[in-house]
Amino acid sequence: MNDETQVIPVDLDRLQSRALLVGIAGLAACAIAAVSNHQQFLRSYLAGFLFWLAIAVGCLALLMLYHLVGGSWGFVIQRILEAGSRTLPLLALLLVPILFGLRVLYIWARPEDVAANTILQHKNIYLNIPFFLARMVLYFGLWVALAMLYNRWSRQHDGSGDGSWIDRAERLAAPGLIIYAVTISFAAVDLIMSLEPVWFSTAFGLMVICGQGVATFSFVIIMLSLASGRKPLAGFVTEQHFHDLGNLLLAFVMLWTYIAFAQFLIIWAGNLPDEISWYVTRLSGGWRIWALALLIFHFVVPFFLLLMRDIKKKAPRIVGVAGLLLVAHWAEMVWLVEPSFPPDRFHIHWMDVAAPIGIGGIWISLFVSQLKKRALLPLRHPKLAGVWEPAEET
Amino acid sequence: MSRNDNQERRGRPPEPVSVEVLAPGHTFATVTDKISSIVLTRRTPLYWLVGLGFALLLVMVLLTAITYLMGMGVGIYGVKIPVGWGFDIVNFVWWIGIGHAGTLISAILLLLRQQWRTSINRFAEAMTLFAVACAGMFPLLHMGRPWLFYWLLPYPNSMQVWPQFRSPLVWDVFAVSTYGTVSLIFWYVGLMPDVATLRDKAQSKTAKVIYGIMALGWRGSSRHWHRYETAYLLLAGLATPLVVSVHTVVSFDFTIGLPAGWHTTIFPPYFVAGAIYSGFAMVLTLAIPIRAFYGLEDFITHKHLENSAKILLATGLIVTYGYAMEAFMAWYSGDKFEWYMTSWRATGGYRLQYWLLILCNVVSVQFLWFKRLRRNVPFLFVISFIINLGMWMERYVIVVTSLSRDFVPSAWRPYSATIWDYATLIGTIGFFFVCFFLFLRLLPMIAIFEMRELVAKAEGGKR
Repeated sequence: MNDETQVIPVDLDRLQSRALLVGIAGLAACAIAAVSNHQQFLRSYLAGFLFWLAIAVGCLALLMLYHLVGGSWGFVIQRILEAGSRTLPLLALLLVPILFGLRVLYIWARPEDVAANTILQHKNIYLNIPFFLARMVLYFGLWVALAMLYNRWSRQHDGSGDGSWIDRAERLAAPGLIIYAVTISFAAVDLIMSLEPVWFSTAFGLMVICGQGVATFSFVIIMLSLASGRKPLAGFVTEQHFHDLGNLLLAFVMLWTYIAFAQFLIIWAGNLPDEISWYVTRLSGGWRIWALALLIFHFVVPFFLLLMRDIKKKAPRIVGVAGLLLVAHWAEMVWLVEPSFPPDRFHIHWMDVAAPIGIGGIWISLFVSQLKKRALLPLRHPKLAGVWEPAEET
Repeated sequence: MSRNDNQERRGRPPEPVSVEVLAPGHTFATVTDKISSIVLTRRTPLYWLVGLGFALLLVMVLLTAITYLMGMGVGIYGVKIPVGWGFDIVNFVWWIGIGHAGTLISAILLLLRQQWRTSINRFAEAMTLFAVACAGMFPLLHMGRPWLFYWLLPYPNSMQVWPQFRSPLVWDVFAVSTYGTVSLIFWYVGLMPDVATLRDKAQSKTAKVIYGIMALGWRGSSRHWHRYETAYLLLAGLATPLVVSVHTVVSFDFTIGLPAGWHTTIFPPYFVAGAIYSGFAMVLTLAIPIRAFYGLEDFITHKHLENSAKILLATGLIVTYGYAMEAFMAWYSGDKFEWYMTSWRATGGYRLQYWLLILCNVVSVQFLWFKRLRRNVPFLFVISFIINLGMWMERYVIVVTSLSRDFVPSAWRPYSATIWDYATLIGTIGFFFVCFFLFLRLLPMIAIFEMRELVAKAEGGKR
């Protein structure tokens, strides 16, 4: 079954240490710049944080989705998803700079601005610092708890081979996904939508969820390809797995586009001041080109590429598409965050690039160290019965 | 079978058939005989005659209502400004929503390689077609002058009439007619091999000729099957976006407008989920009696019912998410009209309908978390009925409340339906069932050749 074309040889140990170096360098540079330009640092950092949060929480969500519906697409990436979900405590830690900068980032956190604005006073019951902090604790608490449960059950199943641990994972999947959908929707309101507290859109949470699906599938495809040279994945991962993952990526690309377009069309047609203002800044000047690029590289190009079977089946090609989509996802995060801040025209700062790379370096380093901790496939799963002896675990 | 070969060529072993989607002990012959005998040899059952007769009576009601409408105009309905959309639009959206399950089962579940679609796809597709036909009647009747419906189409004419392409109502014309056309072609293509079977097995000359014409010369050669498989897969791919597009466009009918409670961005996805919700509810409402009356428990098994129940639960939860997000954002927006509409729906003159919709769509579906209840057939039948009712209430609440209280209090008027509104609704239900009864009697309600594929796979699995 081994298919040599799937293997991209990468030394995971080197990836881990280099990512850490890049991460520290990136964040250090940003930290130095933050002294002189605190606000710019925070907004770049927020966009970068959202990018990696999408992948970490997305891993947890896909893990639960796999346990809910099953399928061989999830079986091969289960360990990648688990390792991704184990990075959630790091993201809770990475949230801290944002929490200390709430007054800089969010207009609703500044009492003098709230006093001058009736809508902000109305929203004050929800958008205030203590409640915001409490919600963040709740979201991360739930995500970390779910991730811990899934990882513990998976480890126990590895140890004993007792199928009842899988049953537990399957039973929690549906409630877990509901928790995910609700918390992410509100987290999207808190972290992104409330940057412009006058604006609102009921579909926003769903749009963020679909964007997370795109980012996570892209990331997982890349990681599967990088790890597929190692045992026990080597020889187990086939073209068909990449084909399935490519199809799922395509589905999420279409879903994201669908929700994003429907939201735009409805607000554009309504043309009400509270709603359209959000798009006016995001669709004028350089942001218009940015938005157009989003349309092309977050939808048009990957859509047509992912329709082709030959691209989905060959790892180097699908990895290319996935990489493109990750860049597009970063561009979306910047597009969601940056236009909320002055100046009103297009602006992009070197930290918009450096902050995601800095956070990403540290995150990837942790992710790889977690990934290496366990066999890359659940070796005692009934699907692998007789294929590997436990002694073969590396 | 060729679809099987196709999968093997793609490097995927054929999935073993779970015994749960087909009772054990069936062969090619028993499957063929059992399904085709309902059409060809069994005596027409009494309950079929009674059912058809009753449905025809309701069609008489429909004809009466339409005749009266033609004579008197739309004033016979309860629609009065500001509530210009009453029962007609409610019923239109309700029916078109029901029409979503068929294509979902046939196209999306086919692409997802779900075996359990096989025995329910045929009648679900038929249900879709009839539901779309019922839905299509309402906008036409609501125009008041249905004979001028072709003015909606963009064609060169001397009247200087051209559709307003910025209006979602025009998009509706295209969305619904495309959906109806593709569903019909999809259904008919899937039907051809089975109609050929009926042609070959029919005893009477007339039946042979009619089925023979309908089979379009199908001989079952391998070239036919090859072309068939390709065409069917392509049609499935084409039909898949339509499952989403139709109700999305229907939701635009509301969201593109500005009334509070209509203009909200979550409508497209949650309308689609609601459509699938009501569609599967109707699938269960129909499948449960059919399998009992015709003794088809071997083919439409507990597994089918349970999976449908799971889809009900999933889509019901998405709909619940939609309601919750709408309510939260109505408050969060700080828009007093939005918030007024949300609270008025729950406490105002239509609170009965509102709470009934919450009870039916949100509360009742939570029972389906329990496997025992998902396998309890009478319970599923009842719950499917409740959901059908709830989804009708949802559309009623959306259409009527937002219109009857818009931005200017002096323009507020309540709405109530007249007897002619009810007559038209009941009449279309009759029309739907007449079509459905005729379908059950004249065409194979389960795809015979796909069941034979299941038998083949099941035998392959045993070896």
